[in-house]
Amino acid sequence: MYIFDGAMGTMLQQSGLVEGDCPELFNVEHPEVVTGIHAAYLKNGSDIVTTNTFGACGLKLADYGLEHRVAEINAAAVKAAKKAIAQVKPSAKVAGSMGPTGQFIEPLGQISFDEVYDTYYEQALALIEAGVDFIIIETIIDVQEMRAALLAARDAREKLNKTKEDVKIICQFSFSEDGRTITGTPPEVAAILMDAMGADVVGINCSLGPEQLIPLVERLASVTNLPISAQPNAGMPMLVGRETVFPLSPEEMGSYVPALLDAGATYVGACCGSTPLHIKAIAEAAGNHTPKERPEIAPFTAFTSRTGFVKVGHTEKPIIIGERINPTGRKVLAKEIKEGSFAMVKRDALAQVAAGAAVLDVNMGVPDVDPAAIMKRAIMELSMLVDVPLSIDTMDAAAMEAGLKMYPGRPLINSVNAEPEQLAQVLPLAKRYGATLLCLPLGRGDLPATAEQRVELAKEIVLAAYENGLRSQDLLLDPLVLTLASGQDSAVQTLRTLAMYKETFGFPTVMGLSNVSFGLPQRPYLNSQFLTMAVSHGLTAPILNPLNATVKKAFVAARTLLGFDPAAAEFIADYGLDEEGTVTSSASKKVATVSFNSDDPLENIQHAVEQGEKELVIELVEKALADGVDPLKITKHALSEAMNVVGEKFGAGKVFLPQVMLAAEAMQGAFQTIKRVLPDSGGITRDTVIVATVKGDIHDLGKNIVAALLENNGYRVVDLGKDVDPEEIVAAVKRENATVVGICSLMTTTMPMIDVTIEAIREAGLPAKVLVGGAVLTQEYADKAGADSYAKDGITAVNIVKKLLGDD
Amino acid sequence: MAIYNGRLPQIDVAETIRYAGLRQATDFPKQYVTDACLEVQLVAEPKGVYEAYDYDAATGTIKSNPPLIVEGSSIRKHLEKADKVYVLAVTIGEGVELRSAELFKENNYTLGLLVDAAATTAVEQVANQVNDLIEKEAAKAGYTTTWRFSPGYGNWNLNVQKDLAAIIGTSHIGLEVTDTFLLFPRKSVTAIIGCIPKGALDCEKNGDVRPGIKRGCSSCSQVNCASRKV
Repeated sequence: MYIFDGAMGTMLQQSGLVEGDCPELFNVEHPEVVTGIHAAYLKNGSDIVTTNTFGACGLKLADYGLEHRVAEINAAAVKAAKKAIAQVKPSAKVAGSMGPTGQFIEPLGQISFDEVYDTYYEQALALIEAGVDFIIIETIIDVQEMRAALLAARDAREKLNKTKEDVKIICQFSFSEDGRTITGTPPEVAAILMDAMGADVVGINCSLGPEQLIPLVERLASVTNLPISAQPNAGMPMLVGRETVFPLSPEEMGSYVPALLDAGATYVGACCGSTPLHIKAIAEAAGNHTPKERPEIAPFTAFTSRTGFVKVGHTEKPIIIGERINPTGRKVLAKEIKEGSFAMVKRDALAQVAAGAAVLDVNMGVPDVDPAAIMKRAIMELSMLVDVPLSIDTMDAAAMEAGLKMYPGRPLINSVNAEPEQLAQVLPLAKRYGATLLCLPLGRGDLPATAEQRVELAKEIVLAAYENGLRSQDLLLDPLVLTLASGQDSAVQTLRTLAMYKETFGFPTVMGLSNVSFGLPQRPYLNSQFLTMAVSHGLTAPILNPLNATVKKAFVAARTLLGFDPAAAEFIADYGLDEEGTVTSSASKKVATVSFNSDDPLENIQHAVEQGEKELVIELVEKALADGVDPLKITKHALSEAMNVVGEKFGAGKVFLPQVMLAAEAMQGAFQTIKRVLPDSGGITRDTVIVATVKGDIHDLGKNIVAALLENNGYRVVDLGKDVDPEEIVAAVKRENATVVGICSLMTTTMPMIDVTIEAIREAGLPAKVLVGGAVLTQEYADKAGADSYAKDGITAVNIVKKLLGDD
Repeated sequence: MAIYNGRLPQIDVAETIRYAGLRQATDFPKQYVTDACLEVQLVAEPKGVYEAYDYDAATGTIKSNPPLIVEGSSIRKHLEKADKVYVLAVTIGEGVELRSAELFKENNYTLGLLVDAAATTAVEQVANQVNDLIEKEAAKAGYTTTWRFSPGYGNWNLNVQKDLAAIIGTSHIGLEVTDTFLLFPRKSVTAIIGCIPKGALDCEKNGDVRPGIKRGCSSCSQVNCASRKV
């Protein structure tokens, strides 16, 4: 057990640091003050003192124009600490502090990962060169920043030919009261990721008091065997006057120490609001307590995103890795990606997550596109959009690294094979970024036909992975799925491989299904049968399309049959209401709620429009026309009548705007059907109406609604858009021979343009009637501005236009 | 100036229903609303920027460079107890507006309308995320924060938008203010959050003397707002 020290900043302020000055400059200008603070902590029981370098990376020092003095300031800090140690407690150690840069890494913020890495690398190099025993990366709230800092510290240590025996790296996060960092990372995710990326100690400091830290330390200890550090604040701060006050006394702080140690912490210190007396109380409490033995956590495989983790393995519930984000064989997707659009990628991502994918495979294999740039973009977009972990699916080492760097978690790399060049490129990347790695049993020679050959190749990869420092829990195995067409026992060999993998290695297994049925009919059916067999032979994470109902149902069924679904609850929830013999989920079925079975076709059409049943309206209109009903009758008696009813209900507050628009869509569908079936039926064609949002205003939703409703009533609408000059409106009225102009403004700041526009129309001597509307307008304002009429909503606007033109 | 862009892994369907004025329309097909939320997730580009300043409540001065004096009794009242303020701005980009207009052109009026509501939900979610970050940052220094107050609330004039945007540099997130003091892209929010020393509050027992701490619709003067939570 080691006792850390307490706060530095407040101690400096008591020793003359003025608000607004650089605290780290004290190392150079007043080293004796810094040494004095360290000495006070050492005298009160600290085993490790933390350098006064929390804000001494180049990016932070730039706030004071001191970015060119990083090495000097950090070296001076270590020197000041060592001097105190020599004077007071020669056995004590020095931890070099690296705090947050104060900026978020893209895409969450603006700064690049590499810039943050560089600034930490420079600082870590200076600290290690000056002789620290630890690097402590602390108070971090963004897991990406921690990843950059940890990589930088590791690289600096290696650069100076030191090992973890010489310099240990401590990674401390700050969690909020909801148990997550501000950017959403819970303790388990932080610990799993830091463990995989080679941190030597993982911990928590700042933000919370000791009481709140205890359960968080327990959560760290539930997923890692790494030593844990805990450095709470002296309670939750309060500001009294200009002074920040921390409520906990030294004794109170000390009283929580036994529980912190029992929870698993072995490095204990304090953060904001603490003093040497707090440390004294902590050291005494720790000395008087024999902590509980910390349970050993058996290795397990897990992927993490920024916000969550997913375990995978033979004792875990099988999971789906979604396969859809892959342009292979999907021309439209490939084209979109090539053109720089990610809409379909995002759509596929969200749909797969909604359908139950626990991990998303990301393959960006589009020809003639820079693979690294496109992978980076994909990982950025998806890490902002979904909370499930990602699988980086590429053979290109540069693309792989670009993706790994951008990913704020522990992804799956899909994949590495036994070829020496592949191993040499991919294994170090997996280790460096703490990723999990899928091993594919392919070598230089022929495809390995038998399970025995595949197991041999897998062994080669696994051994090479171990040599590169990867651990058993970092590795997953692919049994290799060949098409049945390549040999009648190819599926059997895959199943045998799964069974042998489980026996030989015990690692989780991953495979894509669909290859097996290549060239055969009924592929989803075959795939689903194969899936069930594979899961029973030891497949833990199939790569499949969860949007395919047949395959998805087989997966859920397999999970239930193999004992991963207590009381079959999930199966019943998903499929319990289905009719026997169907495969689609009952949840996705559309239920028709209203029947339209009057003998009068016009009445049926009217009701269907009122209900916004667009598809049904089209059917009903087609049938009515086929039965010889006059299209004009349909328009006048069914459609217009329906809109009247909807309008009245809207006015009475019984239906709401989206429902009005649904009815309008249904009506539009009816019009188009009439036009399609009887192109010469004529129908109503009424006058031309110009609509526009006035100059200076950019709100067009209301105008769009009015335009839609007018069109539905047979008017020819010319929509000039938003932010439209009065001159343009005048010109359009002339050009289009419009009889009504509708103009709107939503804000008080743009309302005067209503007056200006009306004036321009009048000055041009145009006979057109002017209708105005918009949130802030009133009848009174409309009158004053000289408008012919004012409409408070879209329905009213249509009625007014009809009245103005005598169309009723 | 700090950039924090926020994420949109979900868009709150219930809030979207509220913004769409559909709370009482229980038979409205929910699929339209979830489709609209999905459309917004696909095209939204959330971005945020914020900065902290000292504040002098006596003169209503935000000590930015150059300083900005806030005018209007409601904002002054809101920040009455604050000695520090955060100014923030968020946007989800122009894509959502273009998508909504496009849907109208394709005669998908309902979805176009609901995309607008879902976009409002989304921009509020992003603002909430930045707000959360500010709240936690301020709490570290011993502050309680007020709810966020935007130009146009109470009698705080919209014409402050330009100055507010200028001091935090909203151009960094592609957010501009038109000559008519509107935000562009339209689905954007600018706001101010006051930081009140926790000690100052705990000394006072009377609930009414905590301006800006009471949150939500009940504290807003727009009592006839369609989206008001009763």
